[in-house]
Amino acid sequence: MSLAATPESVTAAESGAVASAGRSRRRGYGRYVWAKVAGACGSLLFMLVVNFFLFRVLPGDPARTLGRGRFTTPEQLHAFDATYGLDKSLPQQFLTFLQNTATGDLGVSLKYRVPVSQLLMDRLGTTLLLVGVSTLLATAIGVWLGIRGAWRRGGGFDKASTGASLTLYSMPEWWLGLLLIAVLAVGVGPVPGIFPTGGLHSIDAQPGTVSYLLDTAWHLTLPVITLTLAYLADYSLIMRSSLLDELGQDYLTTARAKGLRDIQVRNRHAVPNALLPTTTVIALNMGFVVAGAITVETVFSIPGLGLLGTEALEVPDYWVLQGVFMVASAGVILANLAANLLYGLLDPRVRT
Amino acid sequence: MTAGLLATTLVPGAALTAASAPASAADSTTFTVGLLNEADSFNPFLGIEAESYEMWGLTYDYMIHYSMKDMSPEPGLATSWKTSDDGLTWTFDIRTGVKWSDGQDLTAEDIAFTYNRVLEGGPWGSTWGSYLTGVTKVAAPDATHVVLTLKKPNAVLPLLPIPIVPEHVWKDVTTSQVKSYSAEPKDGQPVVGEGPFKLVEGTAGGSTYRFEANKDYWGGAPHVDQVVFRVYKSEDPMVQALIKGEIDFAEGISPLQVKSLQGQSGITAHNGDSPGFDEIAFNAGSVDTKTGKPIGDPNPAVLDPKFRHALGFAIDRDQLITKVYQGAGQPGDSIIPPAYSSYRWTPPADQAFTFDLDKAGQLLDQAGYTMGSDGQRTMPDGSPIGTLRLDARSSSDTSLNTMNYFKEWLDQLGIKSTVRTYESSKLTDIILQGDFDVFQWGWYVEPDPDSMLSYMTCGQRGGWSDSWYCNPQYDALYQHQHEETDQAKREQEVKQMQQLLFADSPYLVTAYNTIGEAVRSDRFACFQPQPDPGGIWLIQYGVHNYISARPADQAGNCDGVSSAIGATAASESTGTSNTFWVGAGVVVVLLAGAGGVLAMRRRSSVGERE
Repeated sequence: MSLAATPESVTAAESGAVASAGRSRRRGYGRYVWAKVAGACGSLLFMLVVNFFLFRVLPGDPARTLGRGRFTTPEQLHAFDATYGLDKSLPQQFLTFLQNTATGDLGVSLKYRVPVSQLLMDRLGTTLLLVGVSTLLATAIGVWLGIRGAWRRGGGFDKASTGASLTLYSMPEWWLGLLLIAVLAVGVGPVPGIFPTGGLHSIDAQPGTVSYLLDTAWHLTLPVITLTLAYLADYSLIMRSSLLDELGQDYLTTARAKGLRDIQVRNRHAVPNALLPTTTVIALNMGFVVAGAITVETVFSIPGLGLLGTEALEVPDYWVLQGVFMVASAGVILANLAANLLYGLLDPRVRT
Repeated sequence: MTAGLLATTLVPGAALTAASAPASAADSTTFTVGLLNEADSFNPFLGIEAESYEMWGLTYDYMIHYSMKDMSPEPGLATSWKTSDDGLTWTFDIRTGVKWSDGQDLTAEDIAFTYNRVLEGGPWGSTWGSYLTGVTKVAAPDATHVVLTLKKPNAVLPLLPIPIVPEHVWKDVTTSQVKSYSAEPKDGQPVVGEGPFKLVEGTAGGSTYRFEANKDYWGGAPHVDQVVFRVYKSEDPMVQALIKGEIDFAEGISPLQVKSLQGQSGITAHNGDSPGFDEIAFNAGSVDTKTGKPIGDPNPAVLDPKFRHALGFAIDRDQLITKVYQGAGQPGDSIIPPAYSSYRWTPPADQAFTFDLDKAGQLLDQAGYTMGSDGQRTMPDGSPIGTLRLDARSSSDTSLNTMNYFKEWLDQLGIKSTVRTYESSKLTDIILQGDFDVFQWGWYVEPDPDSMLSYMTCGQRGGWSDSWYCNPQYDALYQHQHEETDQAKREQEVKQMQQLLFADSPYLVTAYNTIGEAVRSDRFACFQPQPDPGGIWLIQYGVHNYISARPADQAGNCDGVSSAIGATAASESTGTSNTFWVGAGVVVVLLAGAGGVLAMRRRSSVGERE
């Protein structure tokens, strides 16, 4: 909604100055938007089709994986396939899949025997909370670190922050998570273990209360810290290098010559220009938020989308896989679209 | 919204600890169990995972229970049972005075209803259908009797591990509904059952399940008020949670973790014998089950029982247990594990597999697989054996390590081999296509050996048989024991079958596994192993230990069960473990780094100000 409104307000402001140029620019952006939206819809459709066939070529037979080690006759295996429509031919299954998806029915999980849409809804909230909050934090802190570092390149702060974020970036997420658990959840020596070792909330927490929210936040603290630390370098390094590119530009010299204070030169002139590449990275990473964070979800036993997908692979639980990939790819496609639209706004050069 | 979340996330945890720490034990006793896998369905007609069976066991009850000693049948909802002389009619006397958790009486009608639903087949029968094979009719002539009518005698009876569900709730569930019927608590109402606990919170695939004690349970009220399961997705955090005290029991941990926990005070850990085995399996003859023509590309050598049997002497089982199983396991020989002593056949000392490469070589020589001039054994016709493919599962270190050792031993015998690894479902496909020579896998064996024995019959080729073994003599024995109602005779036949398998060696059983478990014995006591002695404490056949578990200070003599984990074992602490020192070191480094960053920041802002 806000995206649709912004171009109007921007162009309206500009059209005050040059009316004719404003009109042509508006039309230019409109066409640009349409092209991008159509492209995104095309990708979504293509992805739906690919998803179906992609998972059917996976090795394994759900009835067999789910039945191993139990007293089951071959007839019962066939009965399982018949119950879940797996005995039909692939084209037939594909037709059913298209029909169902069109009506919003994503099928029933082979493993959990509950509707896939219900599983996805349950997990999506958790993942958005965990990965979303971490991405936002990492973005804010990372961009800040990048700006500070680049502005005083080679200084102590720059060295320390670049070193630290690179170290954290190269550290496996699960190991970082385990260390945090050992130190901050279990406690070491004088450090008390104040955080829970895993899970999303306490057993006795009552949903809908304030203490429930606090309890969830308390449980999410360590995983969010882990992810934030791991993601930091993504943003700080890009912000740092793109700001460095701007440092030698003439317009900065002009700004300084005008007598602007150092902080004003940085925040009003250099940073807005340097933000362009960072915006792309942020928007694209936002798309991956819904894909979850498999390793951190594993270490902290947080039931998110990432785990749902990996576990469904083992069966293979076709409908769950399709659902998870649909959500994940839709996230990426939409974020891509948003990045394109935003970029079109920020940098008029790309519209043509 | 987002701002609010951010704010709450950033609030120091210390302030929150007080607000949301688990309730103290003063008002009610909660026994918390950490699991490594979630329950896949609370609907007893649908689920598959062992964890789900545990949940049903708490919620529902069974007509027949399993004994703690050796899993033999014991009275449950049925107090006694008898069979007609021809073995075709079984009559069960049903306990009176048992109530459903919503207050209604449980009658024989409920049991007949449940069994008839299973007999209906389709989604109703997928989990339990095989237990009622050959049963044509289930009837409840009155409120206290259930009568089963059979086509042919079935020696597996009276073992009937089918959870009994209330007719007044389930009669409204249609066949098309049951496929996705969740049987979970709704609107704060617990699931209606007759088991020792009531499910009050939990969903399939979820990570927390909460049960409340059924104080009216006919077998006596449980000693704890609540049982809570928490699902962990990896082992280390679960063990940390046990050490910290967030959970009271950790199920399914590795032998290395067991070793490290055995030193911790207040914790008792063990590797319990689990009724299962691991094997090195051969392609004993993959065929198209419709046409009978060979399929796949097995090496001709592994098709020969003599060749396979000889390799039984080329496996150093003791070394496997030490190196691959970290000492947690026992060397194996037959497909019936020691837990089921009455059915188990042990090879006599002069035939038993020992690690004896000379003997293996002699047997191979006798069978014609003599050493060629190049130091490699040849087929009896003089052609080269080629390279045996040893397939391991990528998900299991045990599988891969076993195969790597086996390859070495085969090398010493003059047989070339190569180890391949596959993801389990891919390996299943390869096995079904017959494109393999040797693979490593394992089975759990149910208290009645019938199902395990059936996997080795000709009829299961293309089904559950993964060795493609087929021996008419074995099949005849299988049919006979399946219908043999004289227990002693049946045991004899089951032993003969194992003897045949030992000679033909479609499987070379390598080890009997264990399951690692640890309990906060400073808090809870009275866990009896099953089988007793040596067995496991939880995920047993039946839910005995959830009923007998009680706070450690109330343990007493655990109702006279001497093998149960009793009063607090005051073992001395071995001090802080290595992990902690590593962690502490890292914290120091991180703190120093953070301090450095802060100092730099100070200095730079000073510079800026100047």
